[in-house]
Amino acid sequence: MHPALAIAAKDVRQRLRDRSAIVLGIVAPLVIAALMSLAFRGAETIHLTVGVVNSDHGSAAAGLLSALRSPGLKDLVTVVPEQSEGSASAAVHAGHAGAAIIIPSGFTNSVSRSRPLPLTTLTNVNNTVAAQITSSIAQSFVAQVNADRLSVATASAAGEPTGSAAAALDKAHLSLPIQTVQRAFGAKRLKTISYYGPSMAIFFLLFTISFTARSFFVERDQGNIERMLAAPLRPRSVLFGKVLSAFVFGIVSLSIIAAVTTFAFGADWGNPLAAGLLSLAMVLAVTATTALVIGVAHTQRQAEGISSFAVFGLALLGGNFVFVSVTPPIMQRLALLTPNGWALRGYTDLATTGGGLAIVGLPIAAILIYTLVVATAASVLAPRALTP
Amino acid sequence: MRILAIMSVSIRRVLRDRLSLFFVVILPILVILIVGASVRGFSTFRVGVVGGNLGASDRQLTSMLASTPGIDMRQFATVGDLQSAVRRSSVEAGIVLPKDMDRAIRGHGTVTVGLVAEMSNPSQQAAATAVQSVLARYAGQVQAARFASQQVGVDFGSSMTLAGHLATSVPGVAIVSRQAGSQLATLPEGFSYSAPTMLVLFVFLNSLAGSAVIIANRRLGMYERMLAGPVRSGVVIAGEALSFVAIALAQAGLIIAIGSIAFGVSWGDPIAATVLVGTWALVGAGAGMLAGTLFSTPEQATAVGPAVGIALAMLGGCMWPLSIVGPTMRTVGHFTPQAWAVDAWTRLRYQRGTISSIAPQLLVLGGFAAGLLALATWRLRRRLT
Repeated sequence: MHPALAIAAKDVRQRLRDRSAIVLGIVAPLVIAALMSLAFRGAETIHLTVGVVNSDHGSAAAGLLSALRSPGLKDLVTVVPEQSEGSASAAVHAGHAGAAIIIPSGFTNSVSRSRPLPLTTLTNVNNTVAAQITSSIAQSFVAQVNADRLSVATASAAGEPTGSAAAALDKAHLSLPIQTVQRAFGAKRLKTISYYGPSMAIFFLLFTISFTARSFFVERDQGNIERMLAAPLRPRSVLFGKVLSAFVFGIVSLSIIAAVTTFAFGADWGNPLAAGLLSLAMVLAVTATTALVIGVAHTQRQAEGISSFAVFGLALLGGNFVFVSVTPPIMQRLALLTPNGWALRGYTDLATTGGGLAIVGLPIAAILIYTLVVATAASVLAPRALTP
Repeated sequence: MRILAIMSVSIRRVLRDRLSLFFVVILPILVILIVGASVRGFSTFRVGVVGGNLGASDRQLTSMLASTPGIDMRQFATVGDLQSAVRRSSVEAGIVLPKDMDRAIRGHGTVTVGLVAEMSNPSQQAAATAVQSVLARYAGQVQAARFASQQVGVDFGSSMTLAGHLATSVPGVAIVSRQAGSQLATLPEGFSYSAPTMLVLFVFLNSLAGSAVIIANRRLGMYERMLAGPVRSGVVIAGEALSFVAIALAQAGLIIAIGSIAFGVSWGDPIAATVLVGTWALVGAGAGMLAGTLFSTPEQATAVGPAVGIALAMLGGCMWPLSIVGPTMRTVGHFTPQAWAVDAWTRLRYQRGTISSIAPQLLVLGGFAAGLLALATWRLRRRLT
């Protein structure tokens, strides 16, 4: 057996005996990915109950109710009649209803007068999405009424007598001149677990950097490295053996997480070959970073400090901590400076397009460039850490 | 006096370690920055627009979209870019304006705007609803301008400008939004949301990580040596507990100071906030000391501690508001002390709460603190004697 392999095998055995490695590499990412996916399952299926207080009972109120109950909103909104503003307010405050709409008495009649009565939406500070949707629906409903009022006002401001403008409008039966048409967008939707599965796997994979770098310096302080070098071994083999254990551990951890999230939580990692190559590139990047940390640090404490910066810096920038797509565009660009940011983009594209190798070509190339640069720096700096 | 001596030794050991300063000071600030910059996703819809030929009407519509509260508009060069952004959830919905939009708007027919959203996805459906209401508002102005120029014979451009001005002054049917049961209209976004929840997260996380000190003390035989002197085990435990509380208070104070100075975060009623921070420091101290008796190596503390801390923070609503999760997860979340602390901050800051209005939360947190500290004391005392 090659000495590097022997060293790696010994390190892997040692880490498996330490239960914290299993917690960090397998249990923690699975638990946290599952929690995130459970939490956002609610957000993935927005459905809101809107309480409606109808004190008007006229045709305009009926129009609003039928807009709320239209087939297009069937999956989004359930309408529940409320007796009074008080009961509606209590329902919204208690969270039984996401929001409520109050149609005031005399609303239908007021629509044709100079000062129409307003519709009131009751919202809850804790449910801004429901507030936003409810007010959008109400606004779309009143848009035609307001457009007609605006038409008369504009014509009369332009010189037409108000009375004849109103009469002309009555005859014209105008309808809003812009309509939307659904366009196909040819992709699958991104499930939360399909993002957080890979994201958490990578986040905890990054911790391998701290673990391995730390264990290298612990062994050096114990004199193990010196003893290894007394044997007919080249320093590079020793370093290679140490980081090879990080590589093996990373591959095993990613594979287990991919398998469990796919079969237990329904995550979509996409085309297995493409996802496998992407994961391989990512583990290589982590391995190279580990070697660089060993090369830069002088002591165990320094290794811990530098790797903490590396781990949290990469995780924060790359989007392992927050869903990178919801961040401002500048953050999304910064994410593409990190290998994990590219890997996450690759996994997202695999899951949503259903594509294969062609989709991950660019992410893999970017990760390999990072790996190459870091590995070159490490191979220059690291032998220094090995020589006694 | 002996309690203070033991406390100050533990504190000095933490302060000398530059690595722990990274976790106490730098990391929380970085996370507040990043989470603060991205948390607006919870109440704002991100909408993409592919412009037509960038004529007057495109500009009017895009500026209307951009100025609508609750819509964060981003422009894309091609339909392909927009589709990728929707696919990656970078934007929740997008619209594609027709190439000859200007001409179509001036004409007589209906203008068709493409909508890119997957309608089986409720959050995209919700964003689409928001966009459609803006489009309807714009369409109202177009209808008015067309009608006026047809009636009076003025050109479309000037009647469109007229309609735009009148839209703000002609009384239409208004939508008045009112809060059910609290005074503030909207949940603050960005830093203001993330700072208090990150305080809850990091004070707890840091206390758990601090358990490594207790483990190291146990392994070094520090406690045995202390007990060889005229020191009772209760004094040692109290000293350790005080050092946890002091570090937690210092970290919380730092986050509060940076939050208010750098990000303009308001922390609510000062007395209530102080009591809440104090109670939370006790909860953290109890959890950290208990962890110190449960783990056997510092490696376990640094590996398992953060994972447990982050998981509890997620359950308890530190990473996202619990209002966006289902009722089951919300109930499960309230088994963690984090959820009660976040609830208390929410009351304090968004509903102008006082110490009496957060009394229930303080009581529950006090219970957590007492329980954790009692358990930790019992376990530590067993190990000491």
